[in-house]
Amino acid sequence: MNSRILQCLVCIICLVLIPAEAQETPDGQQALRFEGYPGTHEFDVVPRKDDLFFYPCTQCHAAMEPNPEIRPLNAIHDSDLEHGRGRIWCLSCHDLENRDYLRTLLAELVDFDAAHLVCGGCHANRHEDWYFGAHGKRIGNWQGDRTLYNCTHCHNAHSPAIKARAPKPAPPVRAGLKLERGIAHEKSSIWDTPEEHEEQ
Amino acid sequence: MSKNNSSGDGGNFDKARRNFLRGLGIGTAAAVARPAWGGQTFQDAFASFFQKDYRRMSAEEIEAALERIERKAQDRYDVAIDCQNTPPQPGVVYGYAINISRCKGYRDCVHACVKENNLGRDSQMQYIRVLQLDQGDFNLEHSDHYYEPETVPVEGKHYLPVQCMQCDDPPCVKACPVEATWMEPDGIVVVDYDWCIGCRYCMAACPYWARHFNWTDPEIPAEEMNTNTHYLGNRPRPRGVVEKCHFCIHRTRKGQQPACMEACPTGSRIFGNLLDPDSEIRYVLANKQVFRLKEDLGTEPKFWYFSD
Repeated sequence: MNSRILQCLVCIICLVLIPAEAQETPDGQQALRFEGYPGTHEFDVVPRKDDLFFYPCTQCHAAMEPNPEIRPLNAIHDSDLEHGRGRIWCLSCHDLENRDYLRTLLAELVDFDAAHLVCGGCHANRHEDWYFGAHGKRIGNWQGDRTLYNCTHCHNAHSPAIKARAPKPAPPVRAGLKLERGIAHEKSSIWDTPEEHEEQ
Repeated sequence: MSKNNSSGDGGNFDKARRNFLRGLGIGTAAAVARPAWGGQTFQDAFASFFQKDYRRMSAEEIEAALERIERKAQDRYDVAIDCQNTPPQPGVVYGYAINISRCKGYRDCVHACVKENNLGRDSQMQYIRVLQLDQGDFNLEHSDHYYEPETVPVEGKHYLPVQCMQCDDPPCVKACPVEATWMEPDGIVVVDYDWCIGCRYCMAACPYWARHFNWTDPEIPAEEMNTNTHYLGNRPRPRGVVEKCHFCIHRTRKGQQPACMEACPTGSRIFGNLLDPDSEIRYVLANKQVFRLKEDLGTEPKFWYFSD
């Protein structure tokens, strides 16, 4: 019993004394420290920043006065934010001061490559599934090192619902068969209903 | 033939006879133009004829069979393929799960499968069928896999991809009179295409319509031929045998994903080792409401569906 208490104490002391590695942001603020869900395997996330057309955001925003006011945007950013259907606003996920970072609801800064940490703030169930492999997409292998796509690879963060698109061509109908759409067995003439049978 | 017979049935016969003779001539010309034994050497044709069942062949005999397959593909498709015989990994049994609330019916998996597995482009055969059903309806007889709307998903419909379920108690295997199909130690039900006699009993036994008969020699453009092949998987098959999904045996035994999973743009497909308690498939089985198709038949499919 005593040894168990001792073990717990040692663990707690370790946790307090040895902080997890944290990224330093320009202002010296500590970036988010999320250790993941217990029991998950390590994985890499495909970086996103290379694909972002306007990144780094400070290219323009360094010269602009930060304006926290909720307003329709008229510049290159689409003000039609479908995500949240009007309940959220740019600064719910983007940081006002550090434009090159995202932020969580706890105002922790998050790199664009780790955008899933921001999504997970609200969509915790999906986030957990993504960690364990029940949501999202793993790349290349089923065995060995895991590499996952980020949430924002598949979902447009500003309009996350996946859009409908054309399907690939339908299979050909077998030679000699005829495609009869929407005809269930019971409607087909070869299946007599009991009443019809009695009439005959 | 006399003039009297030039009309009516006899005349037709005459025409048919002439066509037949002409055909014979062309056939002879073709036989002269092509090397004998269907493009193979006499040794290859002889060895193919007396080739044993895959499970009875020695390592050397399998090696020789693989080389024959490669030579034949070179002759038939003018492509240098690499036919392998990757063994099953110890401690691995494959399982598959599909999230049907995320499948949108794009059919990307179907066409990736056709390419990956060297299916004939004109053979009307596809290993995967994506069924379209009314929402809330799970009667497979009401399903439509020929759907062709402008965009999917169609409102009020849901999609259910069906392929070989790799049953753990496979009825197709029991039906085969020549034991040309069996379950490998890693759970994949495979076919020895050279041993199959094309009787199609297995197709009748399969409750999932997962087995397909190739009526034609597969037509594959040389540049689209997948050269990474496996004896029990996607190597070029002869005409007139039964084929099926084999969980991309040539990829999965090397740790890669099956082609359908890699092609799925929605990430609905989850594949992995059922014996590894930390695998993604085991997480799904433990944490999601999963079901299997026609579970009451007791074929124990290793293929689950879930929605979340």
